[in-house]
Amino acid sequence: MISYLSKLSKLQFSDDEIKTVADDMTHIMDIMDTIKEIDVTYDALADNKNVYLNDLREDKSAPSMPTELILKNATNSENCFVVPKVIE
Amino acid sequence: MDITQLKIHELRKMLDEKEISSVELTNEYLKKIDCFDEKIQSFITVTKEFALENAKNAQSLIDSKNADPLCGIPIAIKDNICTENIKTTCSSKILENFIPTYNATVINKLKNENFVLMGKVSLDEFAMGGSTQTSAFAKTKNPFDLSKVPGGSSGGSAACVSAGFCAASLGSDTGGSIRQPAAFCGVTGLKPTYGRVSRYGLVAFASSLDQIGPIARSAHDCGTILNAIAGWDTMDGTSSKENTMDFTSKIGQDIKSMKIAVPKEFFAEGIDEEIRNTVLKSVEFYKSLGAEIIECSMPSLKYAISAYYLISSAEASSNLSRFDGIKYGYRSTQGDNYNELIINSRSEGFGMEVKRRILLGNYALSSGYYDAYYGKALALKQKIIAEYNEIFKTCDVIITPTTPSTAFGIDENISDPVKMYQADICTVTVNIASLPAISTTCGYDKNGMPIGMSIIGKKFDEATIIQVADAFEKQFNAISPNLA
Amino acid sequence: MSYIPVIGLEIHAELLTESKVFCTCSAEFGGDTNSRCCPVCTGMPGTLPVINQKAVQYAVKAGFALGCNINKFSVFDRKNYFYPDLPKAYQISQLERPLCIDGIVSIEAEGKTKDIRINRIHLEEDAGKLIHDDFNAVSLADYNRCGIPLIEIVTEPDIGSAEEAKAFVEKVSLLLQYAGVCDCKMEQGSLRCDVNISIMKPTDKELGTRAEIKNLNSLKSIVKAIEYEIKRQSKLLDAGERVIQETRRFNDNHGDTKSMRSKEDAHDYRYFPEPDILQVNFTDEMLDDIKATLPELPYKRLERYINEYKLSEVDAKILINQKIVSDFYDNALKVYNNPSSIANFIIVELLRRVNLGEIDLEKLSFTPEQFANLIEMADTEKISKNDAKAVFRTLVETGKNPEDIAKEQGLLIVNDLSKVDEVISQVLKDNQKIVDQYIGGDVKVVGFLMGQCTKSLKGVCTPKVIKEVLENKLKSL
Repeated sequence: MISYLSKLSKLQFSDDEIKTVADDMTHIMDIMDTIKEIDVTYDALADNKNVYLNDLREDKSAPSMPTELILKNATNSENCFVVPKVIE
Repeated sequence: MDITQLKIHELRKMLDEKEISSVELTNEYLKKIDCFDEKIQSFITVTKEFALENAKNAQSLIDSKNADPLCGIPIAIKDNICTENIKTTCSSKILENFIPTYNATVINKLKNENFVLMGKVSLDEFAMGGSTQTSAFAKTKNPFDLSKVPGGSSGGSAACVSAGFCAASLGSDTGGSIRQPAAFCGVTGLKPTYGRVSRYGLVAFASSLDQIGPIARSAHDCGTILNAIAGWDTMDGTSSKENTMDFTSKIGQDIKSMKIAVPKEFFAEGIDEEIRNTVLKSVEFYKSLGAEIIECSMPSLKYAISAYYLISSAEASSNLSRFDGIKYGYRSTQGDNYNELIINSRSEGFGMEVKRRILLGNYALSSGYYDAYYGKALALKQKIIAEYNEIFKTCDVIITPTTPSTAFGIDENISDPVKMYQADICTVTVNIASLPAISTTCGYDKNGMPIGMSIIGKKFDEATIIQVADAFEKQFNAISPNLA
Repeated sequence: MSYIPVIGLEIHAELLTESKVFCTCSAEFGGDTNSRCCPVCTGMPGTLPVINQKAVQYAVKAGFALGCNINKFSVFDRKNYFYPDLPKAYQISQLERPLCIDGIVSIEAEGKTKDIRINRIHLEEDAGKLIHDDFNAVSLADYNRCGIPLIEIVTEPDIGSAEEAKAFVEKVSLLLQYAGVCDCKMEQGSLRCDVNISIMKPTDKELGTRAEIKNLNSLKSIVKAIEYEIKRQSKLLDAGERVIQETRRFNDNHGDTKSMRSKEDAHDYRYFPEPDILQVNFTDEMLDDIKATLPELPYKRLERYINEYKLSEVDAKILINQKIVSDFYDNALKVYNNPSSIANFIIVELLRRVNLGEIDLEKLSFTPEQFANLIEMADTEKISKNDAKAVFRTLVETGKNPEDIAKEQGLLIVNDLSKVDEVISQVLKDNQKIVDQYIGGDVKVVGFLMGQCTKSLKGVCTPKVIKEVLENKLKSL
């Protein structure tokens, strides 16, 4: 299970860490599992915050942020973000 | 008179009456930071030059009698709030050198009042924690006792106010992260109603729970800051169009005939006896002013921790997925392909607590488990909201302890995440129900550590909880920590 | 063994809004890399999406055009997965409560009409573009396209052949164009299509295992890919093997599909309601207002053109095939109510030139009124039909009023009978020899005389008049 979750999370653990993580997660889940005691269902309609179509943002464009600022904190080249190749 | 422990309205008077200049005031704080922050470790970045520049600019406005309430007032900002051109790290290796090219809305609002930015203060990594000890850069200590935690996640924000390093600070609160450290450090912290303050520029932890709020030396000060930062923001679709007001306007009004609810589950065994007694004594104080005390119940409190951790971790796991080193932040040197690179960047950059929450969050959302965990937690959220609504039918405010214990030792609990989680029991329901709450010091335990009580209000009723907190503060002798 | 193909389509259409769906960056096509970006659409820390009203309106409008019901309470959800073109590592989309559900689009294919059911239409954001640099083993990410509003149209598996699929995509394109919500340019990527296809025996009770085909950039590709898949899957089943549930990529050069990844290894998207966007509600009034902005849809126009205007089905279809043409036609009719005449001139003259690339319908230099005037002039013999073509040429070039053009070029037929009489008399005089031939019984020379008269009377009157006067004169000789 930890390995599946790690994959989903794009995290990896060293062999030393893995045991502690597994133990921690087991303890945490014990507490989380207390909600199984109570029988409630989520009512999506009751969560309505009553925002209507007419309350939404008007469709007007505004100047974008200059490219140098967009790329300022990244490894970049030719005005693009550089990403190592994706292996399918 | 220690100027570094004065309240904002006192400083405002001194500044406006030319008893001190903004630059002098700023330098007083900077001196104190120089002397004592090495021990306390509240700041990640002290913006010395920038602060003095702010102070100079503020001064010309003060001189021309055009000073807004926060003009020239030095304020520290939690390091998960984006400040343009100033490093914003979220106390994480993964953002160690991240310099935002934009300000959070609250920063722009404070700028409009010409505040002085003292610097960026420490927090638990990505605001996940109750001790600030998961910070990668500054593991803040409690100014009252350096062997104890200042609380978290806004430990730096609370400690720097408590220690007298600035007039006030901004923190953020997702499950108690303003109120708990305020209680531990003997200062006042306010979490506004969800939607009252814009979240734009606050690095998201749990989108449906996060709020930015002030930590200061009085409820009045918190109100002054809230006045500056509250309001609907076009950049935040969850910010409320509810009218803003002067949140200090009810201060001094009569407490007589106010109805104060005291839910019994918040005073049960899990809370330290000393804390229970101190808070109940404070409740008695309100009774002596003529308030009516009403007993009530919140049966779902026992599920609150699970609901909170499932919802917040689920949202966090998604919010933190953007940190992969490609667009910003820490980029590992290992990794021949995209997948390997992002796994390495994230694994090397995030701390263990953050990783645990991400795993927990993905678990709660994963296929086959959603209904049992995340779906259930959303249902519990609705139940808790209903219980609060029921209580508020017959009362104006609710009073509870802010924490089940006073500040614990630095090394206590650190290896027991579950114990840490359970310590949030007094605060999380307020976030779940989107309500405003303020924590103020109501006593000190036998070791001299501060005890905080929380006053919870109806949605958007920050003015009343500030009024109620202020009534107590007026007759309470708060102690400043002795840093020497 | 012949199998029944069972096909469903997922069509993504980019909406023609001014700004992106969750931020105020321009939604224009193109631009230098990363020049239409901001902290929100590049997923920077602390940024939040704020939904675009028009994008929601357009999605609902598209729903109405495709016969859908609208959910009056609609929710946005996060679809979580990691890919370099997705800055937030989640896409804001819709899962359980999409804006539109249960629509229907009728198509004509292989001589039959058929209804294709629409399962849902939802609003979501587009991802960025990756430019692959295989030499350096990197990709360059351009986030201009991040946050462009998309609607995803998902059909039920009602489509039964490549031809039906093509007809469906064409029909949907036409409807979206009429609704004005998408320009449907597959070459530019504003309309994209994925195909889900399985095959089954007529006696099978359950559907077969389906494959998803991606990378279809044109109608031709869609047809080729489906035909290839039907063959491929049939071969597998004939050989007793199974079809694997997977995603396959169509290769235009080879005309085949290749496996991309197994759909079984499907992403766990961990959908949950987007906490940063509050659910959208509609009143009946708001929905009515949106519906009212829909113009008359193509099939209604087709009915009108055939039944009321008595145009042929072929001609009517040509006219409705592009909204801009149909609108032009309808506007011209308002000025000169001769449906067949105007239809004819549009098809023969205007569209011919458009197809040759000589005229750009989006940048016409003349109005439907001017166009109608020209045709009316030709019909009422104010100018000859031949000359009308010449006037049209000048109209295209200059945009001047046809009447002015005709006047300037001396093409107006005034039917000044005294002048005609004069000129023809002169022609006869000048061609005495030929006239004598006529008198001698040679009827064929009338043609030559007609030609001479027409030359001299160019534009002065109609050929009918010339013939009449000439014949009269000849008779009286």
